[in-house]
Order: sequence, then C-alpha cells, then structure tokens
Amino acid sequence: MPGNRTKGFCASAVALALCALAAACGGSGETVGGGKVVLRYTWWGNPDRAERTEQAVALFEKRHPDIQVRTSFSGYDAYKQKLAVQATGGDAPDVMQLDYRQIDQYASGGVLLDLAKQKSVLRTSEIDPGLLATGRVDDTQYAIPQGRGTETVVHDVRTWKESGVPLPRQGWTWSQWAATVRELAKKAGKPGATDPGQSEDAFEVWLRGQGKSLYTEAGGLGFTADDLTKWWTFTDQLRREGAVSPAEQTTQLDGSVENTPLGRGKAVSDFNWDAPSSGYLALIPTGTALAPMPSGADGTPGQYFKPSMFLGVSAHTGHAKEAARLVDFLLNDQDAARILGATRGIPVNETIRERTAPLLKDFDKTVADYQASLEGKLKDPPQAPPSGDNALQSTFQRDYDQVSYERMSPREAAENYITEAKAELRS
Amino acid sequence: MTTTTAIPTARQRAATPAERRPKREREGPAWVFLSPWVLGATVLTLLPMAVSLYLSFTDYNLFDPPHWIGLRNYTQMFTEDPRYWRSVVTTLTYVVIAVPLQLALALVVALALKSMKRGKAFYRSAFYAPSLLGASMSIALVWRALFNDGGTVDNLFGTGGWVNRPGWALLAVALLTVWQFGAPMVIFLAGLQQIPAELYEAAAVDGAGRWRQFLSVTVPMLSPVLFFNLVLQTIQAFQVFTPAFAVSAGKGGPADSTLVYTMYLYDRGFVASHMGYASAMAWVLLLVIGVVTAVLFRTSRSWVFYASEGDR
Repeated sequence: MPGNRTKGFCASAVALALCALAAACGGSGETVGGGKVVLRYTWWGNPDRAERTEQAVALFEKRHPDIQVRTSFSGYDAYKQKLAVQATGGDAPDVMQLDYRQIDQYASGGVLLDLAKQKSVLRTSEIDPGLLATGRVDDTQYAIPQGRGTETVVHDVRTWKESGVPLPRQGWTWSQWAATVRELAKKAGKPGATDPGQSEDAFEVWLRGQGKSLYTEAGGLGFTADDLTKWWTFTDQLRREGAVSPAEQTTQLDGSVENTPLGRGKAVSDFNWDAPSSGYLALIPTGTALAPMPSGADGTPGQYFKPSMFLGVSAHTGHAKEAARLVDFLLNDQDAARILGATRGIPVNETIRERTAPLLKDFDKTVADYQASLEGKLKDPPQAPPSGDNALQSTFQRDYDQVSYERMSPREAAENYITEAKAELRS
Repeated sequence: MTTTTAIPTARQRAATPAERRPKREREGPAWVFLSPWVLGATVLTLLPMAVSLYLSFTDYNLFDPPHWIGLRNYTQMFTEDPRYWRSVVTTLTYVVIAVPLQLALALVVALALKSMKRGKAFYRSAFYAPSLLGASMSIALVWRALFNDGGTVDNLFGTGGWVNRPGWALLAVALLTVWQFGAPMVIFLAGLQQIPAELYEAAAVDGAGRWRQFLSVTVPMLSPVLFFNLVLQTIQAFQVFTPAFAVSAGKGGPADSTLVYTMYLYDRGFVASHMGYASAMAWVLLLVIGVVTAVLFRTSRSWVFYASEGDR
C-alpha cells in the first residue's frame, strides 16, 4: 500500500511542519493566562539591578493579583539590538526601558504609546518639568525618565592630593581645567585626564558652556566646523604635551570603566557619568571622588541633569492601562523606591528622592551628595537627540582617532564629521 | 565499460504499478523527505536573500517602511563614501597578507607532519585545534588581550600594544587567521599522502635533491589541493568579521585601521540602522567574491595540474 502510506505520511508531515511554524510564530506574550493580564517588561542592566527589579515586580504583582509581569534583561548593546528587532516586527514588550538616544527614533517610528493619555493611573506631578520634558517628542509624552545622572570629573583622590595640585572646585573653567591637567601630568608623572576629544558628551558640555548646543530644536546640527575645530585643537594640543592620555590609551575606551586610562592606573582623572563611576572603586582602592565638570569662560555651566534612562509603553500593547500602572508603580511607589534604591540613578520623583536620600549608602550616597551640590545650578537638559545621533556618537570618536593618531588635522577631521553628521541627520 | 548502462531505463523494462501512476504522485515521497531542506532553504536562505536584494534599493532604517530609491545606495557607495573605499582597501590588504601566509604555514607544517614517524596524530590534532576554536569570540578576545598594551606580546618583546596602533592592528587580526591554519593543513596532508612514492624514488634516481623534488614533484602533484585551499581561504578571508570585530572591540579602530568590509557593513546596518545600504554592500560583496573566484578558476588552467589529464 505504498500509495496510501505516502498520502498519510504527506499529511502528517505537512501537519508537523505547520505545527512547528505555528509554534514559532505564535505567542506574543499577551495571552491571558488563568484570567490574568500578562505584561512583558524588559530592561538592560546588571545582576544587581535584576535582583532588585524582580523584588519590586513581585511586590507589584502582589498588589495587583490580576496582573502578571514577565521580565527579561540583558547587557545594553544586546538589549538595544534585540529591542530594535522586536520593535520593527511590531512585537515590542509592553513596558520597556529606553535610552535617551532611542526615544526620538522609537517615538517617530510609532513604537511608543502617548503616556499623557494614561494620566488617571500614571502620575507625573512630582517629576521636575524640565526633566519630564526630555521624554517628549513633538509635544507628546512618549516616555518618562526613571532616574537622573550628570557628568563628572571622577578622580583618583590620593594621587591628586599627593601631587600638591589644588583640587577641582565648583565653577572652574575649561582653561583652569587645562592648566590643572598640565600641572598634574608634571607632578604626578602621568596624564592628568582622559583625552576628552573623543567624547561627544564632553564636547557637548564644552559647547553648552558657550551657550551653544549639540542639536538645534529642529534636529539639525547646533554647531559649526569652526566650533569642532576649536575643541579638537584644544584637546589635541593637550595630548601632544602629554597632559591628557595618548591615542593608544584613548582608543581603547569602550564604555566600561576597566578600559579607561583612570581605570588602568594611567591617568589621574576621567570624564564619566556619575552612577557608573561606582565601578572605579574596585580598580582604585585608595578612593575616588566626584568633581563638577568645567564650565564656560564666563562661568556658564555646560553640564546638566540627564535622564539616565526612561520607561516607555508599546503602542501595540493590548493592556495600556495595566502597563501604565506598572510604570507608575516603578516611578512613584514608596516601597518600590526603597527596593530599587539608586540602581537606575537618583529617583526622579522629588518626594521619593528626599525620603530615600538619607537611606542611601556607599557610592549611592556619593552620587546623591554630588547631585545635591549641583541642585539649582545647572541649566535645563537639551531635548532628546535626533535619530541619527545613535550612529554619530561613534562617528565622533572615530573621527577624533584620526586627529589623535595624527592622520588628519583637527580642521580636516571636523569638516569630515560635519559632512557625515549632515548626511546622517538627513536620512 | 561504465556501470550506468547496466541499469535498464524505465522505457526499456515493463513499468511497475507504482510507476504507472502520474509522475506527480511518484515524486510525492521525495518531496516529503526533502521538505525539511526545502523549507529551510526557502525560508532561511532564498527568501531573506530576495528581501535583502529588494532592501538594497530602498532606504530601510528598521523603523519606517522602506522607500524605493533605485540605485542611490549603490551610487552613494561608489562615489560619495570614502569610508567604503577605505574598508575595501583594508579588506584587500588583509586578504593579501593573511591568505598566502596561512597557506604557506599550512603547507610547511603539513610537510613536516608527513615526514614525521611518531606522534603524528597528536601534532595533527594539536595544530588543527585552533581552527576549531578560532571562529569563536573567546579566542579573538584572548588575542586582543595578548596584543594589547601590557599584554603578553608587549611584555615579551616590548612592542607596545599592537591592537592600539593603526599600523599594526590589521596585522594582529591577520595573524589570528594565519594561526588557524589547521583546516588547510589537514587538506594538504591528505593531498601529500596521495602522491605516489615512486615519483620521489624516480626523481631521486635522476639525482634530484630534496628541493628539486619539492619543486618538480610535490608542487605540481599538489596543485589541485593548493588551488582548492586557495579558493576556499580567499572566499573566507573576504568575509572576515569576528577577529576584526573582537580585536577592535567592535569599532574597526584604531583610526579605522581594522575596518574590514563586513565590519563596515555591520556598522552601517546595526549601528547606523541603514539596512538598505548594508544590504547593497552585501550584494556587492557577493558579486566581488563571485568574480574573484571566477578569476582564480580562469588562472588555474595555467598552473593547476591534474594527474588524470595525462591519460587523455
């Protein structure tokens, strides 16, 4: 009976294949299990953050027995790529942690829900309006900042003190900073700082100190080739003198503190964001301290409180209300705040910030004190960077590589960057 | 007498009941057994290729629906993108350094192993091991640590960190590939063992020394294997990614010195979200590899010697 067998075999094979396909395609995680609403919530971070987040989520589930939260997390780079793919497929998680640089792209790509429409369950009244505005694109509140951070001159205190060079102080200018790193290099025997020329963040602080900005409100470039040439000439000169790190050290920067000249014991200070600077403690056992960023010649501060990360809700979620409820809980709940601590920066809810401040310990406290010392002295943060910025950050670093390896003059590299940036922002 | 004529064709003998049924029905079982492969090839290879070809004519950025922009990606690549050309030059430099070095090393070690009396199996495995591990990220990271400043190579030779110097970084990447000479080595070894010992004996009788024997017996007899390895390794070298990615920490640095073609493709696609442009780059790479392979085949006529040709 070969014929019959073939037919039956055929049918079952097809059925099997279909099953496999169905299994592979099905399951967006929004199914209702046992009458419960299931939410997916994803973030990036480390195991410590994961543990605290799980605890907070468990508490949320206890308070809302009708909601079940499925969580997942990974490192930033992997998270970024995975989220982009999910978002493209219309399968973004219900609640997602977002970076400043993702907001514009995701908002204009129709991935994010307008959170202002969820006012009834999601309170934002206790968040600083300037900070809250960073999650807005075209006057729509697509995301809510979850914590805030600011840049800092993190330094090896003991080496600095032993060199006899005066410690950094509030309101110091870029030229005072330059004089300081020169002196540090002379007295401490190693460069005074990481070469800031490669860092778009440091450049932005320098630019803002002159009343300019990285991007215009329309999303174009806020500076000219002349500005960038001036900045790179300034840093390149310091590098040639040995006052800041050499190209071979600078090129190894990859976002981890281990690969910074300060972390390797090859420089006295580094520019970094405040919360991640806790990583230096393990590398510099004699202690680190946080100092404010240099300001413009007339004392205009360039640094600002930046939302360290955001929470957004998928535009395609079937449970907008429940998702907004989770966001509200993570931002505004006393107990959640106690569990989460400063894992995502200092909390944005002002009442909670005041209440949790005395409870903070160790480096969390250092960061909180540092931010308190700047309270009221800084200007409003810029709006979220335009979509192309994601790529431009690495372009900036790469183009400066050409300067620090002396393959291009600051002018040539700056013009290169402007050309690339314009093309990137147009597309 | 070949064996094929021994089997009667369907027309010659009486058809079996199964064969009397329509052709479509007879092919059924074949398709069922082929279906996993057909499904895989269609869904995982052909379809994505077709989509990629389509995307290469669009401005797809992962978020907005793709717009047809005709050949703009291609014209931009060839006329307006200096980094594209830098990546082409870097890749060619890499191919020219890595492939000959790797093949030479593989041949030398294969020759040494062939004449070895004891411990052949052990050394063969030992030399082959890096090829198995080599494509992995972990080995590339170890490599980066070795050639970094303060790394082993730096400490031993005082060379400074290779991976941090634009003039040396690509060489460090190439050395990682060269070190993985195990696969071509095993093929060379197999080829060497195919060469009849009489040829060497005859050459020795004629007074040929070892070098003469190598040039006049080994090289021509081995040329088909050499050609095979050359084609395979060249194709692989054009697509080098992992070592360059890991050694430069994903940036193609320092100063774009390790920005090989696929790294730039990755940068355009996954960092800058220009999927259309990246697709166009992928298709150009496919075409170039096709052309290079064709050229290699063409030149092979003048230097590859097949022993069977002598019979004709």
